[in-house]
Amino acid sequence: MKTKPFSLYVIYGCLLIFGFVPFLLVAVTSFLSNDPNNLVTLPFTFDNYIELFTPLFGKVFLRSVLISLITTIGCLVIAYPFSYFLVRSKHQSILLLLIIIPFWTSSLIRTYSLIAILKFKGLLNLFLLKLHIIDQPLSLLYTNFAVISGLIYNLFPFMVLPIFTNMERFDFRLFEAAKDLGAGKLDLFFKIFLPNTARGIISGCVLVFLPAMTLFYIPNVLGGARSILIGNMIQSQFLVIENWPQGAATSMILTALLLVLLFIFKRKGNEGRS
Amino acid sequence: MKTLLQKLFLISVYLFLYIPIIVLIVYSVNKARFSLQWQGFSTQWYAELLHDRELWSAFTHSVLLGICAAVISTATGLFACVQLFLRPKRKHQRRSLFAILLLLIVIPDLVLGVALLLLFNIFAILLGFFSLLIAHITFCIPFVVLTINSRIHTLDPNLYYSALDLGATRTRALTSVLLPLLWPAVVSALLLCFTLSFDDVIISYFVAGPDFNILPLTIYSLVRVGVTPELNALCTFTFLLSMILVIVAYKLSRKSP
Amino acid sequence: MKRCILIMLVLLTISSQTIAGPKVVNVYIWGGEIPKSVVHKFEQDTGIKVNFSTYDSNETMYAKLKSSRKMVYDVIMPSSYFVERMRNQGMLTKLDKQKLPNQSNLSKPFTNNEYDPLNQYSMPINWGATGIFYNREWVKNAPTSWMDLWSNEWKQRLLMLDDSREVFSIGLLSLGFQPNDTDVSHINEAFKALMKLGPNIKMFASDSVQAIVIDGDAHAGAAWNGDAFKSNMENPNIQFVYPKEGFVIWVDCLSIPVNAPHVEEAYAFINYMMKPESASEIARIEGHATANAKGKALLPRSTQDNPIVYPSDETLKRGYFQRYVGQKTIAVYNYYWERFKLSF
Repeated sequence: MKTKPFSLYVIYGCLLIFGFVPFLLVAVTSFLSNDPNNLVTLPFTFDNYIELFTPLFGKVFLRSVLISLITTIGCLVIAYPFSYFLVRSKHQSILLLLIIIPFWTSSLIRTYSLIAILKFKGLLNLFLLKLHIIDQPLSLLYTNFAVISGLIYNLFPFMVLPIFTNMERFDFRLFEAAKDLGAGKLDLFFKIFLPNTARGIISGCVLVFLPAMTLFYIPNVLGGARSILIGNMIQSQFLVIENWPQGAATSMILTALLLVLLFIFKRKGNEGRS
Repeated sequence: MKTLLQKLFLISVYLFLYIPIIVLIVYSVNKARFSLQWQGFSTQWYAELLHDRELWSAFTHSVLLGICAAVISTATGLFACVQLFLRPKRKHQRRSLFAILLLLIVIPDLVLGVALLLLFNIFAILLGFFSLLIAHITFCIPFVVLTINSRIHTLDPNLYYSALDLGATRTRALTSVLLPLLWPAVVSALLLCFTLSFDDVIISYFVAGPDFNILPLTIYSLVRVGVTPELNALCTFTFLLSMILVIVAYKLSRKSP
Repeated sequence: MKRCILIMLVLLTISSQTIAGPKVVNVYIWGGEIPKSVVHKFEQDTGIKVNFSTYDSNETMYAKLKSSRKMVYDVIMPSSYFVERMRNQGMLTKLDKQKLPNQSNLSKPFTNNEYDPLNQYSMPINWGATGIFYNREWVKNAPTSWMDLWSNEWKQRLLMLDDSREVFSIGLLSLGFQPNDTDVSHINEAFKALMKLGPNIKMFASDSVQAIVIDGDAHAGAAWNGDAFKSNMENPNIQFVYPKEGFVIWVDCLSIPVNAPHVEEAYAFINYMMKPESASEIARIEGHATANAKGKALLPRSTQDNPIVYPSDETLKRGYFQRYVGQKTIAVYNYYWERFKLSF
């Protein structure tokens, strides 16, 4: 294997140009000053970061982290047993495809369908009223509940796919061997199954938590633009109040926060394994 | 009893996923234009859809873009993963590659879209099909790598080297030994990339040009007046088409021994 | 696999060749303002192909134009206050009136205005006003002024537009100030007043307003007269009021950005949109009020006399055109708007 991996260098180069350079642009912009007529201008300043360390913005960050966490846990709790049943079933490929097909219809339209279901005169309320479970329609739309439901709905396959591909390689004969050695059901799960599927869980959580923090049109549409999350804040900074440096600074802080969280997660994962 | 619970759980998950789609289909035959109350059965929206040239061209453009982006990013990502997997000593390269990929996932879509727009201006790349393709490949590759990587680590690199020892060429070893083992991950990655590209609004918003319109942006702009039932009709059509394709593919895969 | 990519690229080049015609115009305008049927008629009558794309806010259009080195678009549709802003920065082409003979069809109030005197840089197409809508099914005491919305009976029942200038205009008008106020202390007071309004607001929305209004997810609030007019057609319980303190008027105009690639085709497009038939079709399908007098005359009598979309001249006297207030003041508005939205 002495040949130089030319293809690897090409991939590396392209990612550098189209991945790293945009990031650098954002980093540089975050230190510039705001000029509404030319988007950005000198001088370099730390103001954009200083302005963000206030309780008001802190509240937004905390709310976003909380909602993303709930979304991730929600997805995990449903997707993990779901992937398990999928792996054990005989119709894996078609069941998997059935998960993906809804996502080939525009997520925007499906989110608007969720509105039709959660509205005051919507289908859910109609259903619950008919069954006499409630006697007054519930105001579910334009709340955090609606936002979380929308996020879980849209990010579900991102949790299923990595967990499934990882679980599929699990050798179930290990269960037989462990049972022969006297392991109980809980042992089977915590000592054998969970550690071996951990990688898929981590990939899935990463693929859900990150978009949950940064998607803005779902909280916008389902939350009634009332509860602002980080994604909405960044959108507003770039496109509404036209403060590109501040938008860039918020993005950098968000990026740093997420990287820190990921390192903690990875550290815990490595410790657990050793 | 266990299998009954299993079946119930699976069915409820699928129900949860499909109810909004069913709602979509029902509203595509609702007479009302703005309201979400049922006002009678009507196929007028399908008739309107048939004559809507813009929506159809946007649809075909998105499909084309999706397929190109999915194939290119999956191939690239697969190659990168395999190369790194087979050379465990190249830690430095692997670390830096993963760092960039991580960065790409973590950057909010909105910011990546804006940054790419600025980049395309610096390189004087005209906005159109290629700017969209480059942007889509850029945000798809990290997902490909994550998906394939979570599977590739369950493999033994010695499988590849033993194949070489037994006389196989590098290509043969790749396609006949590694690829079949990685196949589910590759298919997952392809599907994931196509879905991401077909449905991407935020990044495309910034890097799309005037002469290559794509479906998500057309929908996003129409949504301003409220979701027209015509859009529901289009989504119903997309959904039925996907179902038919899947059933056909499944039947065909069944036939092969 | 390489073969697949090659085939795809070949197909792509072939398809792009068949799509591109000899004459083309790149139109980039507000979504929901000019219907496709009118665009198609233009293509049929002139043989010029239209590449149609839309945006959902002036700021987005501005950002895209500013960050593009080479101008790609031929026709844009800035709102009145953006016409002023872009004109001041030299971003708009001064219009050659000889190429726009149909401008004689415009309504008198729109031929000479404060935001673009003598329409040298823009041609008005649609206009609208922001007033109060309410749903008779849920509302017994109809609101008649902006002040009325502050009452406790509206807790969590109001719809507000998701636009900083619109919402601050409401705040300023309720205190007796003008919507284009540049006095920082007035804006501060408006901010404090809006913070008191906060608990009454159920949601902010600028699009898909009809669905919210018609189905009663919000019982009252601020809306554009065109949206209220369309909602009223589908649900007669929806009523619209032009508030006592006054209201904001916006105008969406067609302009040609500087260095547009297809200038002649751009003029042809704008001129065509000012034909009486085009204007009345635009008004009929999209529901906004038209700035075109001859076009308005072609509309059904019931629409022309409808007080929601075409209020009386008496009522219009209470209206204020939305103006550009300068970047310093906009920065102040933005500062308070961000804090207002984050306070929920």
